[in-house]
Amino acid sequence: MPPASAITALPNAAAPARARQKPRVAPWLLPLILVLGLFYLYPVFDVFRLALTRATLLGDEGGYTFATLAQTLSRPEIPGILGVTATFTLASVFSQQLLGLFIALVVVRGEKRRLFGTTIVRTTALIAWVVPGIAGGIIWKMLFNEAPFGGLNSLLRLMGASPVQWLSDPNLVMWSVVVSNVWRGTAFSMVVMYAALKAIDPVLYEAASVDGATARQRLFHVTLPQLRSAILVNMILITIQTLNTFDAIISLTGGGPGRSTEVLSLYTFNVVFRNYDLASGAVLSILMLIISLGLALIYAAFLPKGEER
Amino acid sequence: MKASTSERIGDVLSYLFMLVIFAFFAWPLLWLLSLALRTRKEVFLGVSRFIPKAPTLDNFITILSSDKFAGYLWNALKLSSLSALGCLVVALPAAYAFSRFEFRGKGAWMMALLSVQMISPLVIMVPLYRYMASIGLTDSHFGATMVYIALAVPMVTWILKGTIDGIPATLDEAAMIDGCSRFGVFLRVILPLSTPGIASAFIISVIGGWSQFLVPFLLITKESLTPIGVGIFQYAGTQNDSSIQLLAAACLVSVVPAIIAFLALQRLILGALTAGAVKG
Repeated sequence: MPPASAITALPNAAAPARARQKPRVAPWLLPLILVLGLFYLYPVFDVFRLALTRATLLGDEGGYTFATLAQTLSRPEIPGILGVTATFTLASVFSQQLLGLFIALVVVRGEKRRLFGTTIVRTTALIAWVVPGIAGGIIWKMLFNEAPFGGLNSLLRLMGASPVQWLSDPNLVMWSVVVSNVWRGTAFSMVVMYAALKAIDPVLYEAASVDGATARQRLFHVTLPQLRSAILVNMILITIQTLNTFDAIISLTGGGPGRSTEVLSLYTFNVVFRNYDLASGAVLSILMLIISLGLALIYAAFLPKGEER
Repeated sequence: MKASTSERIGDVLSYLFMLVIFAFFAWPLLWLLSLALRTRKEVFLGVSRFIPKAPTLDNFITILSSDKFAGYLWNALKLSSLSALGCLVVALPAAYAFSRFEFRGKGAWMMALLSVQMISPLVIMVPLYRYMASIGLTDSHFGATMVYIALAVPMVTWILKGTIDGIPATLDEAAMIDGCSRFGVFLRVILPLSTPGIASAFIISVIGGWSQFLVPFLLITKESLTPIGVGIFQYAGTQNDSSIQLLAAACLVSVVPAIIAFLALQRLILGALTAGAVKG
């Protein structure tokens, strides 16, 4: 995932040293260009080429054709898949952003007031973030399990509530998946929001309290406006991360029951590596690419231009 | 003293919120630990045996003494550290150039690097699978390492550029006046001074490599070469409810190294990730 520093460390940031003679740049960049060319540029180019063939994972491409493009995009399950993807992404992104902001606010307040446990809370959230996606899925599968060892239902039973079908109820399963994704992803937003909060000029708060602003007014008229661009950029970054998430879903629900949690990336994976349909997979990859690229452009548009932050 | 009572109320609310947050983030891992320490019988007693009556390490012993898991862990360690090393070799010179040199299209290059980061690994794996198969790089750690490097290198370059930006350029000039070449400056001045940034970039890419699933899942089919991320997935597929305590232990074994690596350098890593945001 992109570093939070990308949010503000813009290309124009540091004035570089002027060497006495102009240094040659190419040798320094060559390894990077080679690696990215071989493993990004070439594959992306190839994806576009494959989308116009009937290639399978096992070989034979046949001639070039637009048929795959039309056939893939008109598959009956596509609207459902896109709907599931949108729900998953929107719910995850908004929950992560809100929760991340709240935790950051409370942690900053806690540090100021020297409350006990702020570091523990921050570290616990970060530990969840380091858990590999597959393991995260397996862990949550154990929690959502409806057998006696299910970590949530046995809690509910203890409190006398009736158990919930976390993963087998098609109307509920999406929210279970979102909860597990929020568990793993929130720390990123928390870190970004924490850094952005720390970067706010304390003079603004002094001025606000001189003017007699209440805590609520300080939050809405100083803190949130100051965080605006960090929030926007963070939301776009986590949107792209969420769109690309599939390892945590594959080990939690495998996309089921039915297709109720099969997001676009998981669907693409299944099409290519389970049905060996390389050409359709390439079309779906392009669809993913277009969605991500659209968001990347929005990201670029929100970057502060030239102004010092 | 109205202000102080409202501060008190705020403190109480903060504690309540922190408690809820802590429970949410800690419960899954505590539950995992609890299951992993139980005997088969106690697993079915649910939350009433959150602290097992007869805690046992047998599950961990079973997992760690199987050749399979030892292999998974070793492969993951090898792949993630080699790729992190490779990542530094590729990213450091580029980060130096981006930080110190002025050249045409620099901004565009940096943006391109960022947008590359947004391409899903899945997109590049679709064609890469056939490409790697045709040049014989499937079932090889070398092939997988190269792809790991490519996936991590854009972010690592950004982090390292941030670190090098923090080193005053006057040091470069001073060393060059003393007769150091550009490369000498890079080697003798920049590298030693950016150790903290290098260390955190290294750990960040090790953690990223450790959690890799897609790349090894597709490129490596031999069990003896499989890293833990894929190993645990396949192991989970073969387990049923009666061996859930073993799965919990296996899961913990796969998670703990990443957590330890992170905790060891937590401050540095967070510093590197947020450097730009704080410095502005």
